[in-house]
Amino acid sequence: MLEARGLFFSYPRSRPRGAGERPVLDDVSLEVRSGDLLGILGPNGSGKTTLLNILAGALAPDRGEVRLDSRPISAWARRDVARRLALVPQHTHAPFDFSVLDVVLMGRYPHLGPFALEGPADLAIARAALQATGTDAFEDRPFHTLSGGEQQRVAIASALAQSPRLLLLDEPTTSLDLGHQLEVERLLARLNREHGVTLVLSTHDLNLAAALCRQLILLKAGRVIAAGPTEAVLTPASIGALYGVEAEVERHARSSRLLVVPVRRI
Amino acid sequence: MRADVELVDAVGSRAPADVRPIRVRLALTVVSFGVLLAAAVVAAPLIGSTHISLAAALDRSIPFADNADAQIFFVARLPRVVAAALVGASLAAAGVIFQALLRNPLASPDTLGISSGAALGAILAITLHLDLPLPGAPAVPLASLAGSVCALGVVYALAAARRRGLSTTVLLLAGVTMTAFFTALILIAEYAADFGETFRTVRWLMGSLDVAGYAPIAAVLPVVCTAFVLFAPLPRALDLISFGEQSAAARGVDVLRAERTALVSASLATGAAVSIAGPIGFVGIIVPHLVRRLVGSDHRLVLPASALFGAAFLIACDVVARTVIAPLELPVGVVTALIGGPFFLWLLVRGAR
Amino acid sequence: MASGLRAGGEGPRARRIAAGLLLAAALGASLRAAPPQRVVSLVPAVTEMIFAMGAGDRLVGVSSFDRFPPEVGRLPRVGALLDPDVERILSLRPDLVVVYATQTELKQRLARARVPTYSYEHRTLADIAGTLRSLGERLGAEAAANRAAGDLERAIAQVRASVAGRPRPRTLLVFDREDASLRRMYASGGYGFLHDMIEAAGGTNVLADVRQQAVQASAELILARRPEVIIELRTGENEAGHVRARDLAAWNALPSVPAVRSHRVHVLVGQEFVVPGPRVALAIKRLAAVLHPEIAP
Repeated sequence: MLEARGLFFSYPRSRPRGAGERPVLDDVSLEVRSGDLLGILGPNGSGKTTLLNILAGALAPDRGEVRLDSRPISAWARRDVARRLALVPQHTHAPFDFSVLDVVLMGRYPHLGPFALEGPADLAIARAALQATGTDAFEDRPFHTLSGGEQQRVAIASALAQSPRLLLLDEPTTSLDLGHQLEVERLLARLNREHGVTLVLSTHDLNLAAALCRQLILLKAGRVIAAGPTEAVLTPASIGALYGVEAEVERHARSSRLLVVPVRRI
Repeated sequence: MRADVELVDAVGSRAPADVRPIRVRLALTVVSFGVLLAAAVVAAPLIGSTHISLAAALDRSIPFADNADAQIFFVARLPRVVAAALVGASLAAAGVIFQALLRNPLASPDTLGISSGAALGAILAITLHLDLPLPGAPAVPLASLAGSVCALGVVYALAAARRRGLSTTVLLLAGVTMTAFFTALILIAEYAADFGETFRTVRWLMGSLDVAGYAPIAAVLPVVCTAFVLFAPLPRALDLISFGEQSAAARGVDVLRAERTALVSASLATGAAVSIAGPIGFVGIIVPHLVRRLVGSDHRLVLPASALFGAAFLIACDVVARTVIAPLELPVGVVTALIGGPFFLWLLVRGAR
Repeated sequence: MASGLRAGGEGPRARRIAAGLLLAAALGASLRAAPPQRVVSLVPAVTEMIFAMGAGDRLVGVSSFDRFPPEVGRLPRVGALLDPDVERILSLRPDLVVVYATQTELKQRLARARVPTYSYEHRTLADIAGTLRSLGERLGAEAAANRAAGDLERAIAQVRASVAGRPRPRTLLVFDREDASLRRMYASGGYGFLHDMIEAAGGTNVLADVRQQAVQASAELILARRPEVIIELRTGENEAGHVRARDLAAWNALPSVPAVRSHRVHVLVGQEFVVPGPRVALAIKRLAAVLHPEIAP
């Protein structure tokens, strides 16, 4: 469904690059098949956000190509891309005063364009998205009055309102408390399992990746150091290489979740 | 499988409670602000330092040359009301666009140096006694328009120099720098000019809507119309861009094109307004704020409402300007400042967002 | 005995010294009372007055705006109302500097440098002759000054007499506006020497009720006041001497104004209209010729 080959990206600099400086993304390739639940795992600064933006077609790579449904993403009309995939950014900040429902309704833009106005069908979709993320009670509240976690869930609802087949999420649970983390985890799992939504999410939370994702890509300093099914990729060796932490990976008996327990810094 | 249909079925949908659909809100907004503007347009030409009667003004039996009421109504006041409406609508709409583009509710048409460029153009025309061979084409407004276009060019080139699109940070910095630079040039021109020219430039900078005819309006009407046509597809894109360029792009907005169009159209509207009436401050900031309080933040409502309200607002300010110390007139920029200053204090006190 | 002799010798010397001192003081006083010989004038009107009383050769410096008489062309310039060059003024070693009443800082600095000043105030038409006389006294040229003042008063009275009893046309006197349009027009209000000139030349200022020297005349105001004659003043500084047809064409925007309808919009070019000095008589004569063309020159 979505394929990336040889992605290379660096931010424009006013002076030539120094010897030891690395690009943000260096020769990154990955493949996402319909129905996948892929996690991009890596420490802060490993290029995850940039990668997601490039995969969504919001950013153009310096070299390499992204293909959506076997066509280069640059050949697609932007709104057509947005009808198939949606991106949930890490932070949502609005300088103006919008209500929660307004924010979610913006997700209908790819289907409506600049001139069409939302109708009852769009409202229904937006409300359904709010209910799916458990934020329907906030519908009329100003967005900026919500807590970080609530805003994150509304952002997911806004992406859902795009009716995408592929959902890209940038650190979706980072600012959530445990209860809401679990809720989002369950929501994403359900979306993938019951509604066939393909998910690609970036995170540095090993346990989320372990519990939720079926495939993983480990990204370190802009390079893919491992890729494949979760159990095969998430090993003490790869975790040590990625985070410089000695850890143990085991399966929890009661919940059958894969657990990563850090032991000490290497 | 389509996620939306599944989701709706899976979770059921609630009947809408009290949120009116956007169609209704848009219609209500346009109608109510439109009525306000219509009232202003009808009432304003009847108010002034000289008492006139509408019946006498419309009386066709009196030859126009002898009908003082008609002359004052049609030649002195009506063009002024039209000019005020055009300038007010342009400045307010430009204010909305600039605030969205720069993602800052304190931005205004003056922020990016466009009105300073227009002012510099006009002042150079005044102090250098520029003369155009075209009949009926006054040099000062045309030079003013040229100045605003130059300012736009410089700011745009600076902001687009980055490889990837239009950087709003650079835009802001370029705008502030250009304003300071143009202001310095204006000061030099005033200093080098003789007494009479300096007096003229100082008065020009205070703004005046006394157009004495439709010619100045007709001259910039194409520019204003172009600007408003360019405005049309922007509001929704601006809503999305206010949340971030990359998330807007991921929702299908052509961000670069929208930002370029926003910059050019708002600058054209500002340049046209300044070239008709000189710099008039506060309209571009007050009106969007007031309108947002009344209709919310959706730019599809804010933009048309601001244009209509800005027109009515400036018509009202001009009525005050030309009646409060009759037969003398206050510069209309003074009236908008006298309203704008306390307005901002009130905003601060309320601590509103 | 010897001390008494010496005392006697010092007594007469002390008296001689005292007498000498007194004489020097008297001489000094009379020197101070001598009329100034090196005059710097920052006021063009006063420069013209000084020439009119025959004391023009005593000028050593004039303002940057002085243009008349032609002799000022060779004199050094020392700035004007807003930017007087104190160093330049002092370098000319003046014994009198004519300054504007509002130039308080300049007056203070000159006082510290012990340079006498004559403070000029821009008032009404009637005060021009008064200034001529008081300046004449200061310069020690009373006779010539009184003659010049008398000539001026007689010339103005002559114009008044020639228009006396005639209907006074409603007049608008415009001294500035934006090129090729009627915007930002400034006309004379009911106060100041421009207003006085209109009245002396046999016209009625349509803005006489506005107690200001300069009024920004909006289109509505002009339409409401319906002037029968419109006079535009140009100094001839920056514009060519001839008036461009399309400058006057701007008035066609208000065809209902009586002056426009009857083609009585005139442009008068000349410095004498803006310098309230001895040449105002000429200015008033020219105004009267426009307001009352039926009087043969």
